Amino acid sequence: MFRTMRIYRRSLGAHFRSLLEYEADFWVLIVAGAMFNALNLLFLSAVFAHVPALNGWSYAEAVLLMGVWSVIGGLSPLFFEGVWRLSWMVNQGTLDYPLVRPAPVTVQVFSSGIGLHGVGDIVTGGAMLGWALFHVDVDWTPLTVVIGLVLLASAATIHLSIIAITNAATFWISGPHPFLAIAVHTFEDMIKYPLTIYGAGIRAVYTFVVPFAFVTFFPVSWLLDRSAGWVGLLGPLVAAYCVWLARTVFRRGLRRYDSSGH
Amino acid sequence: MGLVKAQSLTKVFRRPQKGPGLRGSVKHLFQRRFKDVPAVNGIDVSIEAGEAVAYVGPNGAGKSTTIKLLCGILVPTSGSVEVAGVTPHVDRIANARNIGVLFGQRSQLWWDLPVRESLGLLRDMYDLPKGFYQQRIERLDEVLGIGELMPVLARKLSLGQRMRADLAAALLHQPRIVYLDEPTIGLDIAVKDKVRKFLRELRADGTTLMLTTHDLGDIEDVCERIIIIDEGRKIFDGPLAQMKDSFARTRRMHLHITDGTPMDVIAKHLSTADVSGEGSEVTIAFDRFAHTAGQIIAAVLQVAEVGEFHLDEPAIEDVVRKVYAGELLV
Repeated sequence: MFRTMRIYRRSLGAHFRSLLEYEADFWVLIVAGAMFNALNLLFLSAVFAHVPALNGWSYAEAVLLMGVWSVIGGLSPLFFEGVWRLSWMVNQGTLDYPLVRPAPVTVQVFSSGIGLHGVGDIVTGGAMLGWALFHVDVDWTPLTVVIGLVLLASAATIHLSIIAITNAATFWISGPHPFLAIAVHTFEDMIKYPLTIYGAGIRAVYTFVVPFAFVTFFPVSWLLDRSAGWVGLLGPLVAAYCVWLARTVFRRGLRRYDSSGH
Repeated sequence: MGLVKAQSLTKVFRRPQKGPGLRGSVKHLFQRRFKDVPAVNGIDVSIEAGEAVAYVGPNGAGKSTTIKLLCGILVPTSGSVEVAGVTPHVDRIANARNIGVLFGQRSQLWWDLPVRESLGLLRDMYDLPKGFYQQRIERLDEVLGIGELMPVLARKLSLGQRMRADLAAALLHQPRIVYLDEPTIGLDIAVKDKVRKFLRELRADGTTLMLTTHDLGDIEDVCERIIIIDEGRKIFDGPLAQMKDSFARTRRMHLHITDGTPMDVIAKHLSTADVSGEGSEVTIAFDRFAHTAGQIIAAVLQVAEVGEFHLDEPAIEDVVRKVYAGELLV
C-alpha cells in the first residue's frame, strides 16, 4: 500500500514537473478553473437575487453544496487526470508498457497526467465551502466533524469511481475518445444544485443507477439535518460498492485489452 | 524444463467485417458481423535459461502478438504460458519483475520528461536499492552511452538515442528474461552495432533472450537458435547454423562496371555464379559456401573495371517465404 502510494506520488510529481515545461498552460488552466467556478457562483447568486430559497435551501446552503461539488470536482483532475487518457492508451496500444511493469496498471494510468484547473476548482470551491460553513445552521460537535470528513472522502471516492468505470468502458467500446465518460461527467454538472429541484426520475437515477446524489446532495443534507439526511450516512457503503465495481470493470477490461498491431 | 514455456498458444482477434465505404460502415452499425482472425495459432515454444532465440517471420506473422502473450499483455484465447513458473497474464506483477521488454516501434519513456526522470520512476516501480541503481546506470552508460542522454527530454531524442535510452529502461532492473521486439528498427549502422554488442554482452551474462527482427545481422550476431513463424504457425525451430546452411546460401553482389565490359563476358568468366543485369549495372548471385565475396570481386576485376559495388545478404524473409511456399523443406 505504502509502496503504491509512493509510486503514485513520484509519478504525479514527475508529471507535474513535465507540466512546467509548458508555463503558459500552467497559468491558463489554473485561471480557467477558478473562472469556471466564479461563473457558477455568479449564476447561483443571480437566481437567489429573485428567490429567497431554492426548494427550501437557503443561499448559504446552496453555496455549501456547490462548494463541496467544486472541491471534489477539483480533486480528480489534480490527482487522477490520467484516467481520461485511458481510451487513447487502449486505442493506441500504449497500455503495453504499463502492463509489464510491477505496479498496478490503474496507478500508472491514473497518475499519468495532471489537470491544473483542479487547483482553481479547489481554491474557489474551498472558499465557497468556508464561507458557507460559517453561514449555515449546524450544531458542530467533534463527531459531526469526523463523520463530515468521512462522508467527504466517500463522496470523492464515489465521484472518482464513476469516472473510472465510465472511462473503462473503452475496453468494450474501443474508440479513441472517452465519449461515454464525458457524457456522464456532463450530467454530473446537475448535482451542484439541490437534487430535490429535479423530478422523481432523475432523483432515482442519481441515487440508484449513477449514485451522484451521494457526492453532494445526501452528505450535505445530512450535515444540514434535513429530512432523509440519514441517507447520507450510507456514503461509505456506496463508496465501497463503487470501488469494488470499478476494480471489477478494470480487471475484466484489461483481460479484453488487445493492444495494437499484430 | 524450459524457463519460458508456451503450449498450443493461440490468440484470436475478432475483427469487424464491413463493406467498403460509408455504406458498409453504416450497415455495420445495424448488422454487426465479425470475423475471427487467428494471429497466433497453436504455437509450442520452450526456451531454456540462457538461450538466445530469434523469432522471425514476415510482417503480420504473429511475432509481436506472441511476445505480448509471453509477457502477459494479452490474454491467450487458448493454450498456456508459463514464464519462470509464473503465468504472466494472471500474476502480472510477479512476472514483471522477471522480465524486461522492449518494443522497438514504441518508447516507454515519459514523453515530456528527461531520461533521468523516466529511469527514476522505473527505479521506484522496481524497488531498486540506491547502490544497485547507481551501479546499473554506470554499467548501462558504459555499453549504451546513456550518460549524455540523462538530462535530455524524451521527445528531443533522436531515434538512435531513444532506442539506447529505451534499452536502458527495459534492462534497468537486470531482468532474467528479455523480450526485444525489433530492437534495431530504423537505426543506423553505428547504433545498430552498439545495440548488438550490448545484446551479446547480455547473453554472456546469462540472460535469456528472445528477439524478433527482420535484420539477419541481428540474428547472426546474437542468437544461436531461430524460430520461424508464418500466419500464426511455427514452421521452423532449430539451430541458426542449420537453417542458414540449408536455406540462406545465396548472396547477391551488385556492381557498377565503368569500362563498358559487356555482361556476358563477366558471365562467362564466372561460370559458377548467376550473372544478370542491364548495361553497366550487373548483379551476381553466388553460393556463399562455394565462394567468398572477395573471390567474386577479384574474379570480376580480372575482366572489368568496377566503380561501385555492394552486397546483399540473404534476407530472412526470403527464407521464410521459401520455406512456407514449400520451395524449401524443413
